[in-house]
Amino acid sequence: MGDILALTVEHLMLSAAGVGLALVVGIPLAILITRYRTLAGFTMAVTDVLQTIPSMALLAALMIYLGLGNQTLVVTLMIYSLLPIVRNTYTGITGIDKGLIEAGKGMGMTRWQLLRMVQIPVALPVIMAGIRVAMVTAIGIATLGVLIGGGGLGAPIWRGMQIVDSSMILSGAIPAALIAILCEFGLAKLEKAVTPRGMKASSPAKS
Amino acid sequence: MRKRLRRFFSLLVIAGLLIGTVSGCGGDGADKITVGSKNFTENILLGEIMAQLIENKTDLKVERKLNLGGTLVAWEALKKGDLDLYPEYTGTALMAILKKEVMYDADEVYNLVQKEYNEQFQVKWLKPFGFNNTYATAVTREMAEKYNLVKTSDLKPYAKDLVFCAEQEFFNRDDGYDGFVKTYNLQFKDKRAVETALKYQAVAEGKVQVIDAFSTDGELVTYDMVILEDDKGFFPPYHGAPIIRMDTLEKYPELEEVLNLLAGQISDTEMQQLNYQVKEQKKDAAEVATKFLQDKGLI
Repeated sequence: MGDILALTVEHLMLSAAGVGLALVVGIPLAILITRYRTLAGFTMAVTDVLQTIPSMALLAALMIYLGLGNQTLVVTLMIYSLLPIVRNTYTGITGIDKGLIEAGKGMGMTRWQLLRMVQIPVALPVIMAGIRVAMVTAIGIATLGVLIGGGGLGAPIWRGMQIVDSSMILSGAIPAALIAILCEFGLAKLEKAVTPRGMKASSPAKS
Repeated sequence: MRKRLRRFFSLLVIAGLLIGTVSGCGGDGADKITVGSKNFTENILLGEIMAQLIENKTDLKVERKLNLGGTLVAWEALKKGDLDLYPEYTGTALMAILKKEVMYDADEVYNLVQKEYNEQFQVKWLKPFGFNNTYATAVTREMAEKYNLVKTSDLKPYAKDLVFCAEQEFFNRDDGYDGFVKTYNLQFKDKRAVETALKYQAVAEGKVQVIDAFSTDGELVTYDMVILEDDKGFFPPYHGAPIIRMDTLEKYPELEEVLNLLAGQISDTEMQQLNYQVKEQKKDAAEVATKFLQDKGLI
């Protein structure tokens, strides 16, 4: 049982690492393509295509360059997390009411200030929704990590499948599902928390 | 609120960087060798047997990577040096790795893969374990009796009503599905690709009727399946043997002698029994490996 706990923690860490790296790469990239819109179509197309590669194929291909182990898994998870993060950040920022931008400009905000004080806060709920999708997907894909010598809950799941032992499969699958649900729940809370006060649906207007 | 958010993001990033660095500089400890295996019971068992034998007979530390996603992953990892050795099959090496035409003489195949691996990849084949884990076609005993099936050719009149099922790899190989149906001139009603472990369940539930099997599969006993004789000799030899990087052998020459203790020690039926214990009786692979080595007086 202690094993499963350790694997669960490792699984969560690996998934978070993949998503974390995708944030570091994806958010600046998304902001960049909101400024250079001609790049947007191309960038989206690339992240779309990456998403369609079967995960085992991507793991195996990356393994050839990055070797056996968690680093390959984390990079794979990052690649799968890029699409929801880039797309949601881009959509969130470009979907902002033009009036808000104009108001910001009218107040004399620089582009950086506008980004930091208007665009990102207003887009945050949409970005967070992307992170939620990315995190849950990553937790699922991370179960394949064992196949390229990585860690996580894939070990009991795959061993269980090989020896047709459902309790062993479940000992890996249930914690994976649980952390997915917990992450979904926690991130949803966070999403609410980061929604700017002014945007929260105020108590329904009484008619 | 913003502080909380910032903390959350930095945690994610830190987790990412930490794992990146930790796994990046993963201990290059001296006198450690890495034993790999592919992700099926027999290969894992062989990996475990070799690992335990090395631990018992030498002072080397053994790291196990025993559940790698197929031939491609294990082989690329060995070439790259992430693995020092893993159990491979002569037929797999000949066709999947070297992309050679199929050959049927066991010694010829072994000698050829030995030569090619030595020259192309600086990898050495140690002595074979003994068993030949070749492909075979299997049906339930019930069906074999009903249609009086003994040889694979006997399937011909019934194939149009039968569904053939195998793992994906069988459909992708030259010595797999396409060549098989051509050689025997079979036209199945349908074909399905499933995960190896689900194949026997599918056939037991009657969802499919004919499957590919390995001659050492433990499930053949459990599910009461009959192997149909390969009367046209379509399936080539697949003798299992350890393959090891030559630079590892140079560094630890004792490994060759130690691993060759396993030469010829495992027959087809012995391998079937070992697989059966792990896969069907749910015994721990490491314990089964220890028991095997003790029974053979090797440790």
